[in-house]
Amino acid sequence: MKKSHSIKLALLGGASMALTACGDDGPPDDARFFAETKECAAVYGDAPCTDAAVKAEETHLVQAPKFARQEQCEAEFGAGNCETRQSAGGGSFFMPLLMGYMMGNMLGGNRFSQPVYRGPDGSAVMNNNGRMFNVGNFGAQTAGRTTSFRPSQASPIARGGFGGSSAAFNSGAAS
Amino acid sequence: MKRETIAPRPDWRAHVERDLGFQFHTIGGALYWDETVCYRFTAEQIDALEAATAELEQMCLGLVDRVIDSGEEAFERLRIPRVAWDAVAGSWAAQEKNLYGRFDLAYDGASPPRLLEYNADTPTALFEAAVVQWDWLQATSPERDQFNSIHEKLIEAWANFDLRGERLYFSAVKAHAEDNGTTEYLRDTAVQAGLLTDRIAVEDIGWDGRQFVDLDNNPIRALFKLYPWEWLVQEEFGVHLLSGVAKVIEPAWKMVLSNKAALALLWEMAPNHPNLLPASLDPNAIAGKQVRKPIYSREGANVQLLDAGRVVAETPGAYGAEGFVYQAHTQIPAFDGNHPVIGSWVVASQPAGIGIREDVNAITSDTSRFVPHYFE
Repeated sequence: MKKSHSIKLALLGGASMALTACGDDGPPDDARFFAETKECAAVYGDAPCTDAAVKAEETHLVQAPKFARQEQCEAEFGAGNCETRQSAGGGSFFMPLLMGYMMGNMLGGNRFSQPVYRGPDGSAVMNNNGRMFNVGNFGAQTAGRTTSFRPSQASPIARGGFGGSSAAFNSGAAS
Repeated sequence: MKRETIAPRPDWRAHVERDLGFQFHTIGGALYWDETVCYRFTAEQIDALEAATAELEQMCLGLVDRVIDSGEEAFERLRIPRVAWDAVAGSWAAQEKNLYGRFDLAYDGASPPRLLEYNADTPTALFEAAVVQWDWLQATSPERDQFNSIHEKLIEAWANFDLRGERLYFSAVKAHAEDNGTTEYLRDTAVQAGLLTDRIAVEDIGWDGRQFVDLDNNPIRALFKLYPWEWLVQEEFGVHLLSGVAKVIEPAWKMVLSNKAALALLWEMAPNHPNLLPASLDPNAIAGKQVRKPIYSREGANVQLLDAGRVVAETPGAYGAEGFVYQAHTQIPAFDGNHPVIGSWVVASQPAGIGIREDVNAITSDTSRFVPHYFE
């Protein structure tokens, strides 16, 4: 036989979703990632942080990506970072473990708070309406600390040094 | 080799979008994935395609060896930018592994398959060949066979790259659904092979003065790019890439094969080989009708069909600044008025399967339709 025996897709297809870089729906600039409510409380005080934790949990239950199989979930979020849940119909599915939340004060009064999962390599991944954003890292040095996720205005990092030819030829790059 | 008209699955659009994540089945309003037709081959024909593909790949690797041995003169004939010469030679000396490539073949089912060109650096139509046509066959006639173990071979091939736990970034240009779909599919196979992966748009790659960085300023030390080497090396950050701070897939030596002047050098190396067409950098060296192709081009752009110096047909585009290669014209056989080109894949330099694109025009372009196949 010259055809593949079986094909499964880890990222593409029905149950998958993709990590995206910060962009639309990303966290506001003042938002910070907290692994523990007490870390949050040191910055914002007890009550707002407890509220944010409850809200993140509720949002998580509604918006968490859901997978038919554990390996599909772990392909996205890493081994050991998924849990199984029962669906209303009696079946089971897998979703990432809630590990923290992003919180910030938005202009206009509405507080920003969204669930954060542990992704591959201890990365912190924020869920906003099903779109995923890398917002920092878990781990000994950074747990609970605020983690910068956007280069600052004064960043010495240069970007845009690749891609010009594609624009010049007004085409995709492949053949 | 027969072209068969068949009934498409009634729900195929929703199915391929939902279950396969295949979003570019329609391009610019025109059908791209076309399951109203398919091609049927015999086992002998598939064996012939497989053998020709293996032979062509070995010839190409032989050509790289030859070019690197002869040095400057060959690099110049291939129009490889001077700034990249050391990286090309160095990556070959270091025996850097390659992932994949696609030979475009003219084939009528009886004569030897003939090489039209080799997409060695940034081939696409991969997901369609590896997954979508396989899924079509499994859904419509799973008892039949198909020359296509591309998916399995890709997953195996990732083990060849010595990434030492390094995160591999997958990169394509923004806002191009086909390139991004292909890149995301390759990342899918890498994830299944156990690699750590991430993705970043070509335009978003950063340089911090010492190393490439992603949007979170994490270092990028391993990069898969669906973006031509000859563009990368001539852009602002090209000099950094050539300094070797990141492992790059495909390796730099693919520049020897990803330009169409290589067709002329192949013919010089193996004149009259049954799987090659006469090709030369000198139009006067090719008798009869000839096809003029830019040395660097994509998606069938700027191709001219010439008869005694007169332009019989051509495609538009912005390529050709580096000059042209002239290839003897071969009539791609017509099946019901359609010209199929066989895209024959190598993965880790081994034949892995085929995908067929057909076009009512004799010059296959990025608007050609992809049609599935089977054999028995």
